[in-house]
Amino acid sequence: MEPSTSFFDFIQQESAKLLQQTLTHTGLTFISVLIAIAIGLPLGILITRRRRLSGLVLGIAGVLQTIPSIALLGFMIPLLGIGVKPAIVALFLYALLPIIRNTYTGIQGVDPAVTEAATGMGMSDRQLLLKVQLPLAMPVILAGIRTATVINVGVATLAAYIAAGGLGEFIFGGIALNNTGMILAGAIPAALLAILFDWLISLLQKRMTRQSRMRLYLLPLILIVLSSFYLLPMRNNARLKAGFTPEFMGRRDGNLGLRTVYGIHINPLVISDMIMYKAAYEKTIDVISGSSTDGRGKAFDLVVLQDDKHIFPPYYAAPIATNTILEKYPELEPTLNLLAGTINDSIMTALNYQVDYLKYSPEKVAREFLMQKGLYQPARNGSKGTIRIGCKIFGDGYILANMYKMLIEGHTDLAVSTKLGLGGTKICFDALNNNQLDVYPEYTGTGLLAILQTPAEITDTLIADKDKVYTYVSREFEQQYGIKWLKPVGFNNTYALMMRRQQTMDLQIKSISDLARYLKK
Amino acid sequence: MIQLSHVSKFFEKGKNAVDDISLTVNDGEIMVLLGTSGCGKTTTLRLINRLLDASSGTVEVNGENVRRIPATTLRKSIGYVLQNNGLFPHYTVEENICTVPQLLNWPREKTIARCHTLMHKLKLPPEQYAHSYPHQLSGGQQQRVGLARALAADPPVLLMDEPFGALDPLTRDAVRQEFKSLDELHTKTVVLVTHDIEEAFQLGDRICLMNAGRIQQTGRPAELLFRPANDFVRNFFDRQRTQLELSTLKLRDIWDTIPSSHNGENYVEITGDASCWEALSLLTSSPVIATHNGTAKVITGSAVMNGLQTYKTR
Repeated sequence: MEPSTSFFDFIQQESAKLLQQTLTHTGLTFISVLIAIAIGLPLGILITRRRRLSGLVLGIAGVLQTIPSIALLGFMIPLLGIGVKPAIVALFLYALLPIIRNTYTGIQGVDPAVTEAATGMGMSDRQLLLKVQLPLAMPVILAGIRTATVINVGVATLAAYIAAGGLGEFIFGGIALNNTGMILAGAIPAALLAILFDWLISLLQKRMTRQSRMRLYLLPLILIVLSSFYLLPMRNNARLKAGFTPEFMGRRDGNLGLRTVYGIHINPLVISDMIMYKAAYEKTIDVISGSSTDGRGKAFDLVVLQDDKHIFPPYYAAPIATNTILEKYPELEPTLNLLAGTINDSIMTALNYQVDYLKYSPEKVAREFLMQKGLYQPARNGSKGTIRIGCKIFGDGYILANMYKMLIEGHTDLAVSTKLGLGGTKICFDALNNNQLDVYPEYTGTGLLAILQTPAEITDTLIADKDKVYTYVSREFEQQYGIKWLKPVGFNNTYALMMRRQQTMDLQIKSISDLARYLKK
Repeated sequence: MIQLSHVSKFFEKGKNAVDDISLTVNDGEIMVLLGTSGCGKTTTLRLINRLLDASSGTVEVNGENVRRIPATTLRKSIGYVLQNNGLFPHYTVEENICTVPQLLNWPREKTIARCHTLMHKLKLPPEQYAHSYPHQLSGGQQQRVGLARALAADPPVLLMDEPFGALDPLTRDAVRQEFKSLDELHTKTVVLVTHDIEEAFQLGDRICLMNAGRIQQTGRPAELLFRPANDFVRNFFDRQRTQLELSTLKLRDIWDTIPSSHNGENYVEITGDASCWEALSLLTSSPVIATHNGTAKVITGSAVMNGLQTYKTR
């Protein structure tokens, strides 16, 4: 764990960005809450008038609520693409249930004697609603708005996955970069926003019941003002739109390097690696921070721009394991090394293509590859002990983890349990370091920069030579953590800027320097 | 005048139906709908201000079929008092009372003046209570606000659904007395629903006794007691019969059966308009002498009881 000062350092350095993200976050939350009120309140009123609809409406809103937020955001992409629109729609759907339900129960909860008196005195349905039912149901309705707001502040952190911005950018970036300060810089303001809004609305709720009914009319106004925060940090329109992963954004060998070495200031969207390739293919964005062996690059016919100034260090994949487990089971190391040197860049890309695009299961792809290489053996009894294998949430990791599982089970008497799809470098590495994992595949470049956080002076001397990097991380990991780097698998999955083939030809861009020149025109 | 002709109301569940009711309530009269719960009396009341619409038959208010008047217009011309007062908890006493005048777009000064007049009449000093909220008042006060709200726009017709039902016996009696002495009510046509026999006899000019959705008998209290239309009516009053008969019967009704006697000392003097019950109550503490049509007679317990007996066998 880093010392807590790094959190304060981080927010000091990034205060402008933090403010922008907080405003974006507030805006996202309240635009969606506002739309949810605009639709949920009338719907809630409608179902008090047409009781037969109430089951249906509340049922649908309830089902929407149960969809996991990440999945809901995922569903939105084919319909609405990436960015703000799908995020607002998803958040709106989440905010809908508490608002409809509380409007309905609030109005239903008004004393029947009171509504009968109002009707009996000659109020029209409209007067009954405006003069009696809504004012009396208002505390309950406000409670619904309050719930919806707090839910949305939380869910809005996920909006960063689909390039809608907000405090989630820091959180995901921090997880990917093994930077606790960065995670906290996103998480703490998000929590504070939730507490703040909750408190403010509760204040309104208390006041509302008495004399100051005027405040009720202020509420929509306040919401609109808060919603408009989203528009404040306007994104400048560069000639090309870039979408980078949260991990790439914060790295020296990522966006920072692009800025300092190539002089590219492109103000990118932050986007999840899962949807980035497709978004580039669909022309939502033009430049992405892909990884060179990703099968989707091949699938969507994207071209890697040549890194002519060498800012991307080598990322050779190799399994890393704790010394403890290697000493306990000496047969483990040779088994894991069976894969060494067998997979080059093009093989890995092809394997990834089968998984990412042809949708074969990673297990099937792994087995077929091992059979082809003559390395596959049926699983033995696995009675000697259990090895825990992890991997990060992308193609290479799944395939390698499956191969290692088959190798270990086929060549030794050990059993394997897998924890696949962990959310990033930090999660994998912390798990390994805290003895919750025994083995996972890691990249030399990630070890150098994200885990060891090697200072720039040292990095610069190593970066051009893949062997120097491997030697350096092996030594440092051994000394600092008691973790061993086994032999590299063979492929180099480095960062790469990618563009559509057609566009590179139209604009005559072959290298990152070409891109920089084009952008400066 | 309110007129119901062959009115029936059936609900889907077959509950609380009203079955072929005909009833006339005259101007300025208090008509009490009396009966056990579920007899259809509240349904009948709600048919008048169209909180329910009749399945068949016609309801007329002041000669006009209520179905031809928009419900909201009709209701604004009919005062409505509910058992649980139905006051708006988010409105002050003043705002509650001003509800209907506001719906009718009365000028503000007129509305407020009317509200304060009513509050004075109902012993709710405006300076003290105008800006209170209903929950700050006692049950009796709340019910009086409910009454004031119903009377605010000075409607010719007043409907009351068990208006004193939710009050404790002491408060109920006090509010009932106030209600009875309220000058506003003397010009109004009132339909009052109750299951309380004593209340019906105390307040009703006429009583309409209902059972199972049908009217059993409509008439002045004495008629129901002394000339019951059927066994149901007769049995309905049995438990309190003697007390009711004594309260209903005035001394003048049995005057000729009371023996003449001379004046004496220390008598309490009453008139022939006093009920037999009042006379007997006074007799428990002192001798009583009553005057009627210029003659005075000494009242004794046996004279009253004999008179009642003779009256019933007539």
